[in-house]
Amino acid sequence: MAKIVILGAGISGHVAATHLRRKLSKNHEVLVVSPNSNYQWIPSNIWVGIGRMKSEQILFPLAPLYKKKKIGFKQAKAVSFHPEGDSEVDKPYVLIEYVIGENKGNFEKVTYDYLINATGPKLAFDMTEGLIPGKNKVYSVCTYGHAEHAWQGLNKVIQQMKQGKKAKILIGTGHAKSTCQGAAFEYILNVEKELRRHKVRDKAEITWIANEYQLGDFGMDGMLLSYGNNIMKSSEMIEMVFEDRGIKWITRAGVNKIEDGVAHYETLDGEYKSENFDFAMLIPAFSGHGFKAYDKSDNDITEKLFKGFMLVDADYTPKPYEQWTVQDWPETYQNPSYKNIFAPGIAFAPPHAISKPRVSKNGTSISPAPPRTGMPSGITAKLVAENIIDIINGKKTLNHRGSLGNMGAACIASAGYGLMKGSGVSITTFPIVPDYVKYPDTQGRKLGKTFGDIGLAGHWLKLTLHYAFLYKAKMKPFWWLIPE
Amino acid sequence: MTQRISKTKRFIMTNPIIQFFKYIYLSLKILVIVAGGHGGTRKNI
Ligand SMILES: Cc1cc2nc3c(=O)[nH]c(=O)nc-3n(C[C@H](O)[C@H](O)[C@H](O)COP(=O)(O)OP(=O)(O)OC[C@H]3O[C@@H](n4cnc5c(N)ncnc54)[C@H](O)[C@@H]3O)c2cc1C
Repeated sequence: MAKIVILGAGISGHVAATHLRRKLSKNHEVLVVSPNSNYQWIPSNIWVGIGRMKSEQILFPLAPLYKKKKIGFKQAKAVSFHPEGDSEVDKPYVLIEYVIGENKGNFEKVTYDYLINATGPKLAFDMTEGLIPGKNKVYSVCTYGHAEHAWQGLNKVIQQMKQGKKAKILIGTGHAKSTCQGAAFEYILNVEKELRRHKVRDKAEITWIANEYQLGDFGMDGMLLSYGNNIMKSSEMIEMVFEDRGIKWITRAGVNKIEDGVAHYETLDGEYKSENFDFAMLIPAFSGHGFKAYDKSDNDITEKLFKGFMLVDADYTPKPYEQWTVQDWPETYQNPSYKNIFAPGIAFAPPHAISKPRVSKNGTSISPAPPRTGMPSGITAKLVAENIIDIINGKKTLNHRGSLGNMGAACIASAGYGLMKGSGVSITTFPIVPDYVKYPDTQGRKLGKTFGDIGLAGHWLKLTLHYAFLYKAKMKPFWWLIPE
Repeated sequence: MTQRISKTKRFIMTNPIIQFFKYIYLSLKILVIVAGGHGGTRKNI
């Protein structure tokens, strides 16, 4: 009988929990610890942020589902890791703190045989002065709550524009090291489309601001992709879309301070500039949660488990960009010091960035951190679950492997909502981390498997993913047939 | 605003019938890429 504890019920934690429960007999315990009572399909936050979907359409409560499926659930947050137990508890455990109900504020030592850390990122708004969702006219769409506020803020500006006021809208990244440019990209196109729908587009100046060296970098060093019969750089494709929609852009910019309606930023050229706005949506930096770890004697062993995010089977040796290889990237997401701990999704520490690191003349690092989108988060969580099942069943090696250097991803970016008037930019990439050795002439990617397309079909695809993944997450009949 | 997408291209992008076939094609293509598998990259394993 084994006990598997999963920290986090986002895309990766929930995928791991559902696959473990489906494949393991009920003698084995599967327990999820997560502070949020709901599962949320984060990619659809974009539509909550433009008022075209309600939060209730993108979330559902976890407790009833977990009860029905015999998955344990504690609405609590992990506080510290004790992979050897302590003087009182012999087994490894995590210290958790309840966040709700009569137990709120109480701590518990939750023991485990296997631990999956799927706690994703901390949304580090505090790393940019004044970047507080809902304050200073700046918003976020990173959670459904934030997205609801964003819509309130945007709607207010739309109503003002309807009265004849001109408005400046700024969307992009809110820190020199932010990632998740894709989400901001989707949001700016959706906002632009909504302004046209509300017939106020002519009143708005819309500007993209990002830490990317070039448009379309997306934290993945950009890509060369097939687009119809052409081969195009992602920068050219995004430039085409932005110009066509009248969206201005500022790249190579590290936002460092927000004041009421003003974003201050530094450029790679070392200049300090600012941009005014009436409404802004800026993605914060993502960081680790700052967890601590202790050995049996209560000595601090945090560096054995964490380097910001959790250490796994990656090659963390510092190297210059030119020496980065796909082999540096992890394959099993297993912690090297404690083999019964795994970290899929965003929770693992990447060996390095994917985009070329760049430093401003003043020494500020301005370049995107590596993104880990929903699809790889799901795939890595499933393979971690499968490896744990194998170990429980007596296998000695981890046979399920999935490096971001040998995995494809699809990014279906909504470019406007509407069953007949919507649009989407569909981009697939293979591999996610460019393999410059295998594909030297195509910027590290396999053409054909790396392609882009724009049109209404993209919107339908994004809608299909919304319904399919919520169906899957709710564990409805044959849910496991839907791939991650 | 600078028109960067030609009228023909825009028609293709917005026509529901053409886009329906595109939808089928893209769904299958994406499925092949994503469900097409993943693995390690290190030779010694
Ligand atoms: C606005 C937006 C749009 C996006 N759109 C797309 C898209 O279109 N396609 C795509 O592929 N990806 C998209 N992404 C990225 C995708 O959402 C992430 O890749 C994915 O959510 C990562 O999954 P995860 O489980 O690793 O982390 P998360 O989804 O962040 O889940 C982390 C979980 O851990 C929990 N947790 C946090 N702290 C603790 C703690 N101390 N103890 C226990 N649990 C904890 C959280 O409550 C949460 O349940 C988007 C992201 C954003 C923000």
